[in-house]
Amino acid sequence: MKLYDYILSPSCYKVRLMAALAGVKLDIRPVDFHPGLEHRGPELMALNPAGSIPILEDGDLVLTESSAILVYLAAKAAPDWLGGDAAEEAARVQQWLSFSGRLTASLGGARLHEMLLRPGDIGALQAQGIAALRELEAGLFEQSLRGQRFLVADRPTVADIACFPYVALAPDGGVSLDPYPTIRRWSRALRALDAFIEMPGIHRLHELKPEPHIESGEA
Amino acid sequence: MLSDPTGSWTPVVLSADLPPGTVVPARTPAGPIALWRSASGRPSASADRCPHRGMRLSHGFVRGETLSCIYHGWSYGQAGNCLRIPAHPGLAPPETIRVATHPVEEVGGVLWVGVGEPATQPPQLAGLVPLRSLQARAGVAAIEAAAGAKADADGLLETTQGSQKIHLLLACQERDETLIHVLLEGEGSVAERVAASRAVEALRRKAEALEMERDAP
Repeated sequence: MKLYDYILSPSCYKVRLMAALAGVKLDIRPVDFHPGLEHRGPELMALNPAGSIPILEDGDLVLTESSAILVYLAAKAAPDWLGGDAAEEAARVQQWLSFSGRLTASLGGARLHEMLLRPGDIGALQAQGIAALRELEAGLFEQSLRGQRFLVADRPTVADIACFPYVALAPDGGVSLDPYPTIRRWSRALRALDAFIEMPGIHRLHELKPEPHIESGEA
Repeated sequence: MLSDPTGSWTPVVLSADLPPGTVVPARTPAGPIALWRSASGRPSASADRCPHRGMRLSHGFVRGETLSCIYHGWSYGQAGNCLRIPAHPGLAPPETIRVATHPVEEVGGVLWVGVGEPATQPPQLAGLVPLRSLQARAGVAAIEAAAGAKADADGLLETTQGSQKIHLLLACQERDETLIHVLLEGEGSVAERVAASRAVEALRRKAEALEMERDAP
């Protein structure tokens, strides 16, 4: 499976993270998103006329929507991550997969504005981002009342992976994560998963790393 | 509400939102703090600024009984003294390297940080069970108006939403922002707690609309 990837893209990171958690090996094809705008060039536009990344290619299957890619990886290699078949659980997965698009539009838009100087109404993007974070906080809080630590169940699913990256990088767009205690605990739970991988700006729980021991003799 | 925050307690976070081995940011009248709980369960509050390079300590991590900065790993103990500088493993950090600390009390499932030197203990909140905390872009007056009740000297008010009695513990943040801790009379069922959480979301929308009206010319 070939992933057209950009290291700083939260949507591409979703795919790399899901693949790592599912134990899928990806063939990474780096895209010069910035400053080269390679995703708008003829080669990638031929694959994805929408001009966006990630793009996942597997044989003649070409997927360009990150939520669909997450579902594909999970269905192929780690079906537990799809969530259960019960009506409510299946619907909750779809609810949060769709919701993740709002995080991309709001928090992702604010981040592109602040980091790559993309045009946009930064105040409106941040306000929409805060509204989405409040919904996520309330949703996760209600889940915690049901004894469930993640968006759909007491185990993580594709829904959590779809929502996590843009939330974790909200401060890049000038949106603080300080006011959300339940999101903070959810982020810690995800960043503590065994096969979790990092991207610039999102780190594994530091306390889980071995304490560095340097031979003394200096100082 | 107390108008003079000198020598008082501020409710900053619910006990449930600070598990052992974690650190969270909080705002108090004494400035931003990093509130952390050691692996053995002891809570501490320090200024949210590493004296080395100014990084927020609330971005750091807790290992055992120390809080470490995420930037260069300088570690601090409960009393704020620097215990370890990883780049100088043979050095015993001098006493002068320390972060300012604040008194912390854990009462009724709420962590309170002392500002100045409070002469009394934080309020007991007897019979109340904390539900959740949320931040409103509205001042205390707008929240009181939305709730139809006045807060007492401890910042506590009681309101009835639907058929439920809900208690709000208010902590004024900078500008027109208020941290709201939601408390219920007893545990309640899951359905009751979900309903209370949603009722307070609605109350926050109302308070924020009132705040906007007040700001409008």
